[in-house]
Amino acid sequence: MPPALAQPLPLRDSLPPMPEPVPCPDEMSRCLLAVAHEGDRAAFGELFRHFAPRIAGFLVRGGMSPAEAEEVAQETMATVWHKADRFDPARAGASTWIFTIARNRRIDRARVQTRALCAAQLFDAVEQEPEASGEDLALGNERAARLRSAMASLSPEQETVLRLFYYSDKPQSEIARELDIPLGTVKSRVRLAMARLRAMLEDDQ
Amino acid sequence: MITSHPSDEALLQMAAGWLAAGPRLVLSTHVSLCARCRTRLRDYETIGGDLLEDADPRILSPDAFAKTLALIDRPIGSEPSLMHGIEPGLPAPLNHYAGSPWRRLNASLSWRRITLPEDPAANVIMLKVAAGRAVPRHAHTGREFTQVISGGFSDAQGHYLPGDCIEADAEIAHQPKADPDGECVVLASVEGRLRLSSWLGRLVQPLIGL
Repeated sequence: MPPALAQPLPLRDSLPPMPEPVPCPDEMSRCLLAVAHEGDRAAFGELFRHFAPRIAGFLVRGGMSPAEAEEVAQETMATVWHKADRFDPARAGASTWIFTIARNRRIDRARVQTRALCAAQLFDAVEQEPEASGEDLALGNERAARLRSAMASLSPEQETVLRLFYYSDKPQSEIARELDIPLGTVKSRVRLAMARLRAMLEDDQ
Repeated sequence: MITSHPSDEALLQMAAGWLAAGPRLVLSTHVSLCARCRTRLRDYETIGGDLLEDADPRILSPDAFAKTLALIDRPIGSEPSLMHGIEPGLPAPLNHYAGSPWRRLNASLSWRRITLPEDPAANVIMLKVAAGRAVPRHAHTGREFTQVISGGFSDAQGHYLPGDCIEADAEIAHQPKADPDGECVVLASVEGRLRLSSWLGRLVQPLIGL
């Protein structure tokens, strides 16, 4: 648990405008580790600058109102700060880890009883393996790269439908209406996309 | 060895956060036991991460960062403690939940309802079927996920053992039968309504409340 922010971030609570070089994934991992180990506020600022706008953009794409999307993005980043010590780069990349936090936050906001179980606890209970090793880090990176290739190899139509599955829980019938294609076509594009991903990951069982 | 798994579509829905609480609990139970599905779930979460990277960045309000700092200084809603546990020896995800006592339906069938405070509309039950006995013939209007906890059962589609997860779409009428060598305990979630097409089924349905 990183040390609490005992005083406000330097002098102003807004981030100074910065040019947008694209941070490499390892840079974001480095920032997360710096937050975890040193309570590094500048690193947190970098994480916020990169991820908060994208979390909000992702959620808006799924139909959430911009105001709510921004709220969820803020809550997600606050959780990132508090849970940074649980980030394990051998298990997942920074964007994957933060995606799961945003996902869990969205689930939790929909709970009927707010005192009920957090999504994070359930997803955490799924993990069984001991701490990943350095070898796992290399394997994990390699697998992530293969996943990206696999996604890139999908046809635009397949990729579109797959993305829609992530953005919102619209039923396939509604997706079909929006794309103005038959329901059967939506189903087959999903099936083909998933088959292709499985084939490229070479673990079809 | 686990031979029956939830569909990739269901795992993707779980990774993306779009499974309802009932199916999410049953699938979490399966995934906690199944390395193959853990890997797939992680793969689908990785795709989510890539899509997040690719998302169009929104311009946030000028005080977004300040508000986030304020959130950090406020304690996040405390997580409920792991105090329930339905019974000892169940897969880890079930340790977070409470269930009703076992209720005997007849000589061959007992059931209990699992309470999901995060979604009272969820229908999650555990069923205990005596060796060699059948569950009433039933069909359902929604998707059903069944996770074998102990023992085994067969239906027209196959034979299932501990760890196996069976995903059944709507409209499949089936009559699962426990293996002859011991009782079978399963965890199941049902979306939509359960239609029971035997006289026993019609008796059972209001009792179970599914």
